[in-house]
Amino acid sequence: MNNAKRLWIGLTVLLAVSFGVLLWTGGEIHRKAPPMPETVVTEDGTVVFTRADIEQGRQVWQSIGGQQLGSIWGHGGYVAPDWTADWLHREAVATLDAWAREGYAVDDFASLLPEEQAYLSRRLQDRIRLNTYDADTGTITIDADRAAAMAEVAGHYDRLFGADAELGDLREAYAMKNDTVPDAAHRASLAAFYWWSAWAAVTERPGKEITYTNNWPAESLVGNEPPASAYLWTVFSVLFLIAGIALLGWHHARSGEEERPDKLPESDPLAMTVVTPSMRATAKYFWIVIALFLVQILLGAMTAHYQVEGQELYGFAISDILPYSLTRTWHTQLAVLWIATAWLGTGLYIAPAISGHEPKFQRLGVNLLWVCLLVIVVGAFAGQWLAVMQKLGLEHNFWFGHQGWEYVDLGRFWQWFLFIGLGLWLTLVGRALWPALRRRNESRPIVVLLFLSTVAIGLFYGAGLMWGEHTHLSMVEYWRWWVVHLWVEGFFEVFATAVIAFLFTRLGLLKVSTATVAVLFATIVFMAGGVLGTLHHLYFAGTPTAVLALGASFSALEVVPLAYIGFEAWHTYKLGHATPWMARYRWPILFFTAVAFWNLVGAGLFGFLINPPLPLYFMQGLNLTPLHGHTALFGVYGMLGVGLMLFCLRGMKPAAEWSEPVLRTCFWSLNIGLAGMALMTLLPIGVLQLIAAIKHGYWYARSAEFMQQPLIDLLVWMRVPGDVIFSVGAMALAWFVARLWIAPRKPAPVGAAGQETARS
Amino acid sequence: MIEFYPQIKMLHVTTVVASGSLFLLRGLTLQAGEWGRWAMAAPVRYLSYSIDTVLLTAAFMLLTILPTAVYANGWLATKLVLLVVYVGLGTFALKRGRTKRVRLACFVAALATYATMFAIARTHDPLGPVRLLLA
Repeated sequence: MNNAKRLWIGLTVLLAVSFGVLLWTGGEIHRKAPPMPETVVTEDGTVVFTRADIEQGRQVWQSIGGQQLGSIWGHGGYVAPDWTADWLHREAVATLDAWAREGYAVDDFASLLPEEQAYLSRRLQDRIRLNTYDADTGTITIDADRAAAMAEVAGHYDRLFGADAELGDLREAYAMKNDTVPDAAHRASLAAFYWWSAWAAVTERPGKEITYTNNWPAESLVGNEPPASAYLWTVFSVLFLIAGIALLGWHHARSGEEERPDKLPESDPLAMTVVTPSMRATAKYFWIVIALFLVQILLGAMTAHYQVEGQELYGFAISDILPYSLTRTWHTQLAVLWIATAWLGTGLYIAPAISGHEPKFQRLGVNLLWVCLLVIVVGAFAGQWLAVMQKLGLEHNFWFGHQGWEYVDLGRFWQWFLFIGLGLWLTLVGRALWPALRRRNESRPIVVLLFLSTVAIGLFYGAGLMWGEHTHLSMVEYWRWWVVHLWVEGFFEVFATAVIAFLFTRLGLLKVSTATVAVLFATIVFMAGGVLGTLHHLYFAGTPTAVLALGASFSALEVVPLAYIGFEAWHTYKLGHATPWMARYRWPILFFTAVAFWNLVGAGLFGFLINPPLPLYFMQGLNLTPLHGHTALFGVYGMLGVGLMLFCLRGMKPAAEWSEPVLRTCFWSLNIGLAGMALMTLLPIGVLQLIAAIKHGYWYARSAEFMQQPLIDLLVWMRVPGDVIFSVGAMALAWFVARLWIAPRKPAPVGAAGQETARS
Repeated sequence: MIEFYPQIKMLHVTTVVASGSLFLLRGLTLQAGEWGRWAMAAPVRYLSYSIDTVLLTAAFMLLTILPTAVYANGWLATKLVLLVVYVGLGTFALKRGRTKRVRLACFVAALATYATMFAIARTHDPLGPVRLLLA
């Protein structure tokens, strides 16, 4: 059995086992999810909430943007509070204040002596952590004191989500528009949902001493502290990481230098590629990439600005027409959309190039898909605007409005439409690749691998269709992370690795046999951690301890290949200088090298910073999360999207002379700007929040009291230099692409273009 | 942030002066001929970018701190329009101007624009320079 065959079998077995375990874990999450009560009653039988209230409350929450405005169980936006932690803290304080007034005749709990506080806090813990859910009747029974405290907190939320003038400052601090939920009945059910999320966070699982959310969030008043399993699996995850690094180091030491082709081509083999009509038609994919990227940056700037002026943009009342939860929704969605569009365009461009075959009506298909993508973006965004402005009604929200699930926010109709669009993409790429897939030559394995990754990209988005309107929150989170982690982080990565290796083989710089083995091995290594690593997002989402153990162990393995990314970066860089004509590909290669750099920093370092259970217990939903988000999503996938786009444009416009200064400005501005945003704002605020969360509880790190301090404000402003530099880079990219079509530079002969560039 | 108003304003004014002075120096050296290369050297350009980015950040901060009524008479809008003119003239003075005469003319015009913007900012009045002259 040859090496490649062994690796194919290894990959198949690995994927079968990993997905088997992942699906089993899904079953466990389903079985052990915090129950949804039929009724919540007081000891005298008064009904406080019903299941319908809680379910409607979740719909209301979703319609205002859900996870895009504040967060639940730590998942969501960062400016408004985590509603779970906020409710829990407010309810605890309301109960303790009431007991302090009754028992000690003081104004509030804070006025008591420490020993008195300790006594009342202990009393609260004994009551609030007690699981009174009766599975037979579906009833949660609460005492009168708790009911009173809940009514007080519900009153606060009623005023906050309405237009109460007294809470105007708080709304501004949370970047909420006035009258976020105009309907009073909807506000009441919203409170029921928030209460249920807090109930799950503080109620101990039957027969256990940890709550449904593994004691998340940290809150000393109710005895929520990291569980023993969080300490244990954090330590073990570090051990696994070191062991994995050692093992891969051993492999690298053993495998030695790869075989290089005997003779490198004397001129660019791809320069001879015939650009077919369908390949030419992909140009508009790249134009739309640029447009979406620029809009995404603008929306990002507005979202960031909401942190300093909660309802305004330099005096203009922007929240009345484009509230924070919308700018953030569109900002996060566009990130995935433009990157995905760049990759879709790349797939459509290279498929006929690989096979040399232009199927009938391929161009029509490419054009049709492009129109579909535009309709999806415009339609989904319009629905979200109507939802957040509360003009759509709850009835149609799930299908056409705002689902409220971060990164999978679009209404179900648009999700289906996108899924069908991805199916169309898969068909178009597949039929163009078909002759190459059937050809039994040495290139076949790598073409098959490339094709399989496109199949995975096409099909795995389907995980986003696995939940319904009333599916349990824990299960929605489970499937949502299939999309966000497996689809984006997993299969996009396979596609990226395969496509880059493939391009190098096409350029004649890598032997196909070597490249196939390298890609298969790389896929095995990152899928070994990647598939079950999905669970690291779910430690505190109402899941059992197995999730914590599996997620921590396997996500540590995700970092292992990143520790050696220097090999890949150097390899890519070296190939970029292998022949004089490779200077033609200087900029795509540099972007691929940047991908490696940000893979290490954004995904590896900033990812592992928040990955193990104990750190994440305090860090999730703090600014350390967007630190990872920005540097990994743009740093890795954004840079890759730009690199792939430049690669395709090189082929599409083979004779055009590329402007070095413009691309240099673009490349360095994007990198320096991203680093500036990360290091001057997100990291320092995140660290300050972390200290606050450990010292005073999670709620405090997310509170207006903490986030409105002048120091935090100043750190937010420190984003501006980085963001401005970043925007200059994006505009340079737009300028570069525009100039390829509008008044392109004087065409130079193909062979000479590279040499000229090399000399400059 | 209002508590940091004096510091932010000082930062803004300092960087305005630094930016203008650097431009003046670069323009003069460029005109001087043999020292011209210095004006467009990479460290000098990056220093200029850095100063201008800090200046811009401080300007944005001031914009959110101060009540909108402060800008009611349009002095800021006028200044922003002039900023575009200044930047345009500046690039011709240092880089894009093809002949020495064009560069000199743009340089002088850019300095005059800068002075006008300075006067508008000091007086908080779009007609500030005129009033200053009349006074």
